[in-house]
Amino acid sequence: MRNFIAFIKRFRVFLFFALLQGITFSIYFSYLQFPKYQYLTSASLFSGNILKLRNNLTKHFYLNYNNSILQKENIALMDSIPSSFIKLDNGLVKINDTIFNYQYEYTPAIIINSTHNKRNNYFTLNVGSKQNIEPGMGVFSSNGVVGVIHNCSEHFSVVKSCLTKDINIDVMIEETGDFGLLKWDGEDSKYGTLWGISNDSKVKKGSKIITRGGGKIFPRGIIVGRVSKTQLVEGKPLWDISVKFSENYKSLQRVYIIKNLLKKEQEKLESDTPVNNPK
Amino acid sequence: MNLLIIHSIRFFAILIIQALILNQIEIGSGIQLMVYPLFIFLLPVELSIIYLLSISFILGLSIDSICNTYGIHTSALLSFAYLRPIIFKLFIPRDGYDPIVETNIFTLGFRWFIKCFGTLLFIHHLWFFLVEIFKINELFFVLQKVFLSIPISFLLCILLQFLFIKKSNEI
Repeated sequence: MRNFIAFIKRFRVFLFFALLQGITFSIYFSYLQFPKYQYLTSASLFSGNILKLRNNLTKHFYLNYNNSILQKENIALMDSIPSSFIKLDNGLVKINDTIFNYQYEYTPAIIINSTHNKRNNYFTLNVGSKQNIEPGMGVFSSNGVVGVIHNCSEHFSVVKSCLTKDINIDVMIEETGDFGLLKWDGEDSKYGTLWGISNDSKVKKGSKIITRGGGKIFPRGIIVGRVSKTQLVEGKPLWDISVKFSENYKSLQRVYIIKNLLKKEQEKLESDTPVNNPK
Repeated sequence: MNLLIIHSIRFFAILIIQALILNQIEIGSGIQLMVYPLFIFLLPVELSIIYLLSISFILGLSIDSICNTYGIHTSALLSFAYLRPIIFKLFIPRDGYDPIVETNIFTLGFRWFIKCFGTLLFIHHLWFFLVEIFKINELFFVLQKVFLSIPISFLLCILLQFLFIKKSNEI
């Protein structure tokens, strides 16, 4: 026993160091896998408020760029409202439509903090669970996909962006319909990689890449980017496709959060279907 | 008492500089600017290492919570603080350290500062990027990030001392 106490006394500094390192690493790895708490992320009230204050100061820096994007979006919307069309047929009666139903609900949000040079980059938004935001919802902007909500508190939420190691968004090439997973290799915030397309299908440079709508998060057809380079993977019948993102994540500010209203229905249906029961 | 106030002001100043300004600057090719080790470096020499580790734990966690890095800064800063007394002993000046005098670039000289702070900063950066990337096959990428970031961080630390520490203040 005395030896044990002497041991602890001798190595108390190293043991204290190891204890603190252990706490830090357990925080690090548990956050990477499943976010349990909010108080150590920028979704916490303290950090969230500091970042909101900073955003109030810096949000005007990209005002011109953001205004032009909003203007373009407005024009596109103006083109689609009924009053901008000329009525050619006067004989029809308007009927309340019951064939179409809402499947997706959109919430606007502003990015108040973002990083782009780390291995895993997270964005902080100014909306939270009070605005019915939940982890697992998709986030996109008018130029392309941004990411998936990772964690949220009452007033803020953290987005796992496309610039993350294992974002794995379900995407496809628009022309041919081949689908794969979107990944990021950590080097350049302008390029991502598309993984999982077999090399017997032809991939044209410049062809459009859109979301596939299989992951119950995004609807089909939100743009991700364009093919910029194709390369064969050694030893596997796969293409290594590099994707140029259509969104510039460095100056991104306004995003939309998308909620799939029929997600639970689809999940329930899929979980009821027996896939491969081991006998 | 006076020292306590100075160091707590420095704590908040360096937290704001690091989290709200330097983490937003992007130069490209993986360069990251980190000056917060300077705060731990400038703490008094006589301070017990247990206090040193606790202070660096708190500073690291507050930087991590603002920039969503989940503990990487804390881990690197803890290794910095743990190795500080060892490196100080290694590069001890001829007449030892004066407990009243702060260990900055003016009191102990430019060459001593490069040797001592440079070694510690290298260990800190290497640890940070190794934990962040955590893959052995991206080792070259880690080294590229380390060797590109260190010179700029080091120059910034020198600049901060020239800006905010009064030369005549020391006795």
